[in-house]
Amino acid sequence: MKKIKIASIWCEGCSGCHMSFLDMDERLVELINKGLEINATPITDLKIPDDDTDIGLIEGAVATDHHEEEVKMMREKCKFIVAIGDCAVFGGIVTMRNYIPTDELLKRGYIETESTVEGKIPTSPELGKHLPKVKAVNEIIKVDYYIPGCPPSADAIYYVLNEILEGRKPILTGDFLKYE
Amino acid sequence: MEKIKIKINGQEVEVEQGKTVLQVAKELNLHIPTLCNFEPLLPQGSCRICLVEDRGKLVTSCTTQVAPNMDIKLDTTDVIASRNLILQLLFTERNHYCMYCEASGDCELQKLGYEFGLDHFEFETYERKFTVDNSHNYIVIDPNRCVLCRRCVRACSQLAGHNVLGEMNRGIDTMIIADMDVPLGESSCTSCGLCVQVCPTGAITDKRSYYFGKDIQTEEIYSNCDQCPVGCGVKIYKKKGSNFIVKIYGDFDKENEGVLCKLGRYAGLFEEKPRLTSAKIKDDFGFKKIDFDGIIKTINEKMEDSVVYVDGSLFNEELSLIKKVFKDRVFSLYENEPPIESNVSIDDIKNAKDYIVIGVDLNREYGVIGSFIKRKIFSKNGRLILFDSNFNSLKNVANYVFGTDELESGFEKLKDLDSPIVIYKNLSEKEVEILNKYKNFRFFHLPFETNSIGLLKENIKHKIEKSKNIIFIGKNLQGLKDIAKESFTIVFTPYETDEINKFDLLIPINDGFEREGSFYNVDGKVVNKAKVLDSKFETFGLKAILEELIKVKSL
Repeated sequence: MKKIKIASIWCEGCSGCHMSFLDMDERLVELINKGLEINATPITDLKIPDDDTDIGLIEGAVATDHHEEEVKMMREKCKFIVAIGDCAVFGGIVTMRNYIPTDELLKRGYIETESTVEGKIPTSPELGKHLPKVKAVNEIIKVDYYIPGCPPSADAIYYVLNEILEGRKPILTGDFLKYE
Repeated sequence: MEKIKIKINGQEVEVEQGKTVLQVAKELNLHIPTLCNFEPLLPQGSCRICLVEDRGKLVTSCTTQVAPNMDIKLDTTDVIASRNLILQLLFTERNHYCMYCEASGDCELQKLGYEFGLDHFEFETYERKFTVDNSHNYIVIDPNRCVLCRRCVRACSQLAGHNVLGEMNRGIDTMIIADMDVPLGESSCTSCGLCVQVCPTGAITDKRSYYFGKDIQTEEIYSNCDQCPVGCGVKIYKKKGSNFIVKIYGDFDKENEGVLCKLGRYAGLFEEKPRLTSAKIKDDFGFKKIDFDGIIKTINEKMEDSVVYVDGSLFNEELSLIKKVFKDRVFSLYENEPPIESNVSIDDIKNAKDYIVIGVDLNREYGVIGSFIKRKIFSKNGRLILFDSNFNSLKNVANYVFGTDELESGFEKLKDLDSPIVIYKNLSEKEVEILNKYKNFRFFHLPFETNSIGLLKENIKHKIEKSKNIIFIGKNLQGLKDIAKESFTIVFTPYETDEINKFDLLIPINDGFEREGSFYNVDGKVVNKAKVLDSKFETFGLKAILEELIKVKSL
């Protein structure tokens, strides 16, 4: 049986989509028995996927230069890219910051918050730099399949993965297609 | 109507001329997606989502009338591709992220997204930000959520007749504005709220219902508004499993055609007057609480030597019970007899040409009647002649304005009009005399209280009589002050006001959405008000007390 390697990353998101992925519960075992092989994901704590990965799941929007690099790396290593969740698909809730200048936003978040005493804006070179605008994944790389929803239901994720495993093109309808 | 033959999806059908392609398709149960189209409004074709193909050409089905030899195709690849592109453009122009939108779940744009299976944006999203207009007491306008369908603009002029909303600039820069681009709260908006009801997205929303959940989480209750005798049909959205009204919408199937005024849509929900919370009786030391049996005993003792006053806030069922208990000692506290009897109905008002309004500001009271008249004036199908010496916001829209004192000379000039409708509330004897001369004019009286007509039908007349004991049942205590001085006064009322302490026995009754019953509207038709909320106070229903009194008396 041919193994299908799956990797996932998590950009500007809340991890909710990965929670939904885990929420597939025993169906995850079913998928693994069908040939799914979980490669580099936040769940396995491996950072770089293998070069011959088949499916790359991307959660979260692209908000910093790090995210930009990561999604580009995913595109190189994976045959199919699946954007999961509203943030990856549309930009989602994090696009709220597109309507406020970044300086103002960092000041409000790190210095002016009511509970903050002597706050400062983090400047470590290890941190990613904010892009001027939060973008959906398909504004950076080509995306093959989309699962919107905040988070998408475990059923929707299972449906998409199962369709890909069985060699069909997943088309979301009805309860699987939600923007919230 | 003449019939013509056209083809729809290859099938030959006979259709009525004058209908639009969309209407014909609907009759044939063929689905065409729509967004800017809204049935009672004239079609505009601004969203383009209802495209169909006619002999190789794409046309908007909502604005295209059927014509001979048409060959309509509803879902060719061209049509579907165009609709998908239009939907993509609608979603990517302005902020249509459902995640943080109040309308999510009830949004028509979102529904189209689901219908079309839109699972991503093909274009770069839009970054421009517009300021949210939060200046109005009841309505929020968020231009970021607007799809520029102009339903609000059309509803404001075509249905509600206020002509407050309009549009500014062109193309992607188009903005929905109030008056000459002033904040809505400072505009001439009368707070009728119809724009909120017709908005398909979250661009115009009700402040009260903001983030109070989706429509499926509410129960829809059809009722009639009892704020004034027009008795408009309303649809009340009550949060499921709670004692809370989320919003009130107008009922499009009733005489008011979905139009409401500020009183019907907002006043009942926003203006909460302090309520009388329990029954109390006055003794030498002030007020003390009294129970149900105490009330019955006191009233029973005082009943012999008493007169009963009621006002027009009571429903027919309550009035007939009161009549049953107190017989012919029941009077109306206020004058309800119309100075001149009405001889037209609300429907006649909608279709008349000339209106003569005497001393009523129809933007402030009886707002829906005002809407019906104003929409005729704005569409140049009607004329308004106003007689008022005081401030009256109708002066801005009236074609001719006279002072109240010019009634005689003014009417002399108007005598050749073709049966105009004269609309009035109170008239002096002299004015009645003048008006009575114009036999070919039609008359429409606006009663002072909600159920004024009900009082007249129950034969409860206005009369002030001195008595040892006075019983008052109703909301309006204005006229009671002077007559209640030397009597033992029993008051059934919902509100706690300053003047209430002058009376001797106070009994709280239900108010507003806690009451149910029927009343007569201006047309003399019986309309019903449904019970929506449970009372939070110790109100002993008026009905229960009256029924107990009947029982005690018969013993």
